[in-house]
Amino acid sequence: MRKKRSSQSRLKKDVLEQSLCTGCGACVGLCPYQMVYKDRTVQLFDCDLPDGRCRAFCPRTPSDLPLLRESLFDALDATDEIGPVKEFWIARAKDAGLRARSQHGGTVTALLRLAMSEGWIDAAIVSGRLSEREPEGRLIDDAGALADYARSRFWAAPTVAAFHRAPEGEGRRIGVVATPCQALALAKIRTAKIDGYDKGKTLSLVIGLFCGWTLALEPFQNLLETYQLSAANLTGMDIPAGKNILELHTAEGPVNVPMAEVDACVREACRYCVDSTAEFADLSVGAARYGRNSGEMQNWNQVIVRSETGKKLVSLARSRGILEFRETPQEALHELKNAAAEKKKKALARIIAKSRSPQNLLYLNPGDTVVKKYLKT
Amino acid sequence: MTRLLSPAGSRVLFLGNEAIARGALEAGVSVATGYPGTPSSEVIESLATVARGRNLYVEWSVNEKVALEVAAAASFAGLRSMAVMKQNGVNVASDFLLHLTASGTRGGLVLVSCEDPGALSSVNEGESRYFAGMLEMPLLEPADFQEAKDMTKWAFELSEAIGNVVMLRSVTRMSHASGNVICGKFPAKTRKAVFRCDGPIMDSQTGPMISTPVVAKHLLRQQKLKTVQALFEKSPFNCYTGPARPDLLLVTASACSLYAAEAVEMLGLQKRVGILKIGTTWPLPPRLVSGHLRKAGKILIVEEVMAFLEENVKVLAAGDPKLSKGKTFFGKYDGTLPFAGELNPDIVADALAKIFKIRRDALSPSYLEEARKTAAMLPPREQTFCAGCPHRASFWSIHNAIALDSREGFVCGDIGCYSMAALTPANGYWTMPTLHSMGSGTGLAGGFAKLAPFGFKKPVLTVCGDSTFYHAVIPALINAQHNRADVTFIVLDNQGTAMTGFQPHPGIEVNALKESVPAVDIAAVCRAIGAKVTVCDPFDLAATGAVLTDFLAEKGLLKVLILRQACALSPEKKGKKTFEMKVDEELCLGDACGCNRLCTRIFRCPALVWDRKKKKAAIDEVVCAGCGVCASICPQKAIVKTPVASAFASGG
Repeated sequence: MRKKRSSQSRLKKDVLEQSLCTGCGACVGLCPYQMVYKDRTVQLFDCDLPDGRCRAFCPRTPSDLPLLRESLFDALDATDEIGPVKEFWIARAKDAGLRARSQHGGTVTALLRLAMSEGWIDAAIVSGRLSEREPEGRLIDDAGALADYARSRFWAAPTVAAFHRAPEGEGRRIGVVATPCQALALAKIRTAKIDGYDKGKTLSLVIGLFCGWTLALEPFQNLLETYQLSAANLTGMDIPAGKNILELHTAEGPVNVPMAEVDACVREACRYCVDSTAEFADLSVGAARYGRNSGEMQNWNQVIVRSETGKKLVSLARSRGILEFRETPQEALHELKNAAAEKKKKALARIIAKSRSPQNLLYLNPGDTVVKKYLKT
Repeated sequence: MTRLLSPAGSRVLFLGNEAIARGALEAGVSVATGYPGTPSSEVIESLATVARGRNLYVEWSVNEKVALEVAAAASFAGLRSMAVMKQNGVNVASDFLLHLTASGTRGGLVLVSCEDPGALSSVNEGESRYFAGMLEMPLLEPADFQEAKDMTKWAFELSEAIGNVVMLRSVTRMSHASGNVICGKFPAKTRKAVFRCDGPIMDSQTGPMISTPVVAKHLLRQQKLKTVQALFEKSPFNCYTGPARPDLLLVTASACSLYAAEAVEMLGLQKRVGILKIGTTWPLPPRLVSGHLRKAGKILIVEEVMAFLEENVKVLAAGDPKLSKGKTFFGKYDGTLPFAGELNPDIVADALAKIFKIRRDALSPSYLEEARKTAAMLPPREQTFCAGCPHRASFWSIHNAIALDSREGFVCGDIGCYSMAALTPANGYWTMPTLHSMGSGTGLAGGFAKLAPFGFKKPVLTVCGDSTFYHAVIPALINAQHNRADVTFIVLDNQGTAMTGFQPHPGIEVNALKESVPAVDIAAVCRAIGAKVTVCDPFDLAATGAVLTDFLAEKGLLKVLILRQACALSPEKKGKKTFEMKVDEELCLGDACGCNRLCTRIFRCPALVWDRKKKKAAIDEVVCAGCGVCASICPQKAIVKTPVASAFASGG
């Protein structure tokens, strides 16, 4: 009998060597064989086992996305562009202090704090501070400490690995802040049917982040060097709407880097990603940036509520006065959908350029109706 | 009193190397130097044990070249001296040796080369006999233990008679086997060291010790060989046994003469084969050898490893058409015997059987069948690092740092126990693809590091042991620093010349004579040349790994990591456990763990075993050295270490 190929070697061939690895950490923290170093997934030794969870959870191995959608969301909420939409809001944290420490409207941190103080989750996994040497997911069980992690960094942290490593306890529940690829991995974890594995049940809340791409750490560090900067100097970073720059915040003031330079540092894997709104999260949050008058929208978030859990949390936040809302213009959702559809088309075109066949979409299924719609024919 | 000083006339069981040492003592040797290397080490080790009582200076030198230089100084001052090394050590010493054979010597100077045909404990089967021919110095090869002693003693006399170095060559089966030796007398007189240098330039007894005028001194060296040949014609170390007119003359030397005698007996060819055993292999005594060659039409030359003797016998025969006419020569050139590896009586018997067209079933089929069955019962064993060996921990960290770095970095290897990382790649976790001579790892690494302009992108690491560092690494290290080579240089400092038996080296505060001496600090040497230096305990996997990943990320310079942890077999550690190790059977998930037996399948310390009944990992308490490293690799924290109180009480 021919020996089944190890999951690890299949991951290596199908994901790592295809430059599809997003560094989400879904394959790390389950065994001693795989690690994330800087922002790269590294296989230390051959584990030699088939049917590994590493491969089962990876967001870039083929999976049945329609089935995932069906088991996590209400079919009536489905949209092709941005996944399930139960509700769509423009919102922000009411706490102005929190907003000041946050990336945009502070919505994510406000919701996490609420979920934790209400006892919906015992701990939250967020990506580490900007100043930390190695990007890592952090398990935080003190609601007061969450604001320390409120700012975005633009490179991947292996957040899902922190979920794998989180200690299990009776009835313990965990919330995770996730990029689209991480949210997909977490959806695979939540719905996994693997003998002896039920940690997915502890995953009580996934707050997704809108994501256009992430930066590959090494080229970005090299770019920083040309500006006499290192990651340790950064206090924050942002892409202000309409300016075509990456704004780096430092103690000495902002440094603007032209987008063309930044683009060269984008992680290769991100170019094959069809999801910009974390379609598999309970709710997804991003900067509000629509219309010409984007300055007015600064410090507000767009919020897509996808699941029942997401809906309950947002409505609790509203009734407790944790979040404040403003009127939600129709064109906001429209613009978001258009942008998301554009990303899907581009990514699919690149996937076909890589696989050289519209029948082979690497991790995506050509039969998936959502995928089919954006395939250039 | 040590056996080595047994009284004259007594019959003593000596190791071959001890017989050589005894011969040197009987010759009145004053200075003996060497660099440890199997199978040579016991000559110096045994002399060191008697040095004090015999007014003898014994030194483990930093390398073989320096050993020969220190010994030569004694010779220049009129004392008898000896330098001892393994085969490839002669290569290290050879540059000085080239000039030394030209300047000549005064007090008897013997170069002992103990060689390793078949490379039983070497990574080469180098032959130093060719140096004798190339540098025109006499060569002696003992064939038994008595000869080893007697020949060594005579080598000093011969050296003094001609004023040049004499080389004595032994092999593993001579150096490391034991036999009875009848001891001779020690000299009554001791010599005084006097160095005269005011005589004429061509007088090596009173003039300057230099190799110029080159051509004149070269001719002088060759003249000395005439004296040697004349002495060799009468030497008792050459002897013939067999019929007056044999069908075949077997010419042999060294331990091979024992194989030859046994093979002739095995085939019952005593009446057809004569054996000429030569002890004075270079230059060959022409009259003696020609005389024997005339006896037979067929000549078989039996020797290890190369065809040195065969070539010289053939050259001699070719010089005399009457002698070579109608003769058939068998040996290595015609394929009768192999050109590589060790010989044994069976190989020689097969060669004889082939020549005599005798059918030879070496072993009966039933015997072979039994042997096969027995072999199947033996547990498979691999060459591996000992339990508690710091090298395993070091290579674990090196491997992981290379993997994390992801640029396919690799380690240039060097000579020591850690060579096993290249010989059995699982030991070094497949990180060490090059292995050459002492110090070559660092030289190669410095070279690889300069290939970036040609598109080479892999990061380069290199390892060397502490003894190797002093022996031959320092020039290569300085070269790397001076030429801005981006190399991660790792010293696997296990606090002694561990592989050959813990001989001291310049980093140790004790010398061969157990005197207190200043230690030369490796870190200080590296800092002094301007390298960035970190010292770490390899058993601390986290700290070692962090330094290595940082070093690999820091580009464009020489980085030095000294991983200091004594060898598990070192006298201060052996038998003392720092930790009592245990596998917590509750925590070990066995095959249900995603680790797929990381401890026994990948880490592979011999003390970690898989309990087939319980289907869990276990510690073999007898083998375990208690280093505690495996506790930090188990993802379940199922391997538990408990400090052993006595280890601290005894300071261990």
